[in-house]
Amino acid sequence: MANQVSKLNYVDAKLGAPTSGQQTTRYIYDSVLPGVGGTNVTFFQNFAGKTQFQTNLTTNKLDSMESMVIKSIYIAIDAGTAGTLTLTGHLNLNIYVGNQCVLKDFDPSFNASNRGLSFDRLHSGQNSSSILEVRLLTDIVIPPQVNFKATLELAENTAVVDTSITLGLKGYGKIFSAGMSF
Amino acid sequence: MLYVANKLGLTSLKDMQGSTRVVYDQQTTASIALTLFAGSSQRNFPLTNLGANGNQFQVDEALLVEQIGFFIPDAADGENYTGLLGDSVKFDLVIGNKTVIKDAVVEFGGQQAFYNDGTAGSAVMTLEGVGILIPPQVEFYVRANAFDSRTRVGKSARLGCYLFGTAALLNFNTTI
Repeated sequence: MANQVSKLNYVDAKLGAPTSGQQTTRYIYDSVLPGVGGTNVTFFQNFAGKTQFQTNLTTNKLDSMESMVIKSIYIAIDAGTAGTLTLTGHLNLNIYVGNQCVLKDFDPSFNASNRGLSFDRLHSGQNSSSILEVRLLTDIVIPPQVNFKATLELAENTAVVDTSITLGLKGYGKIFSAGMSF
Repeated sequence: MLYVANKLGLTSLKDMQGSTRVVYDQQTTASIALTLFAGSSQRNFPLTNLGANGNQFQVDEALLVEQIGFFIPDAADGENYTGLLGDSVKFDLVIGNKTVIKDAVVEFGGQQAFYNDGTAGSAVMTLEGVGILIPPQVEFYVRANAFDSRTRVGKSARLGCYLFGTAALLNFNTTI
């Protein structure tokens, strides 16, 4: 696949989903509290009671006319009051679309902080131990109306009661367009 | 990836889920000479992320290695790690009974020309030209020796290694 645009069109067409629609850059995110000592969290599963800054979804699937590519993964952690948890320890991220694992046992921690281990050739010096982004080599599609979720396992068990972890997924997407696409 | 897979008779690999993958393993007991990935099925996360299959991918899974990195585990629990911090690593990558990268060295800071990770010296090697495919169901491992980048004296060290690149994941339907 040449790029995100053609990959999304290819998959949508394969699945019989509408390929018309407003082209856009889509970003979806969800925040989860692992709890005291928690080492396993699931994103895009529970949305109740979350603010607009904790998640921008109300269900774990895109609308019938919407689809997107997962190209970038963003993870941010708030260690919480007196907490020490960071993203520099080993992580184990899985992303599931439908019943299919599309990102398997992926360790994004190599992109956390600046240790000379980042996947990217140009990796910003700003990157901290509490915020990281990984740019994937491949374009993975979330089609319309298909459930998705992500699980993250942490090597370190130092989460405190108000530790919060946010996962964001970004990429090219399509959203509903009633008329002409801009 | 598909060219090699086809040559190996892996005709169904093209139908698998495309993904980005990193596999890592670490030896948290310091030694002059270390073998990584071999025997990884006996280790659990966070020591490795290879799981029960260990150092071979299951049917219809493969990894096109595009970048290799070495790191130093902080402690025996393998939870956290640093970059190479002034050390370099000489290594071989072996797939099946064939050495596919021979006597190569990930030099500390050796990718300064085109690699920028803040102000930290690089601890990675980006493979030149083409990647190297690890096919399904073939064992792979890395032999590694750490040494001081400047004095070129070998040293006993804990060591971890990751292999990063484009991957295929087992998928019974069409790729999405």
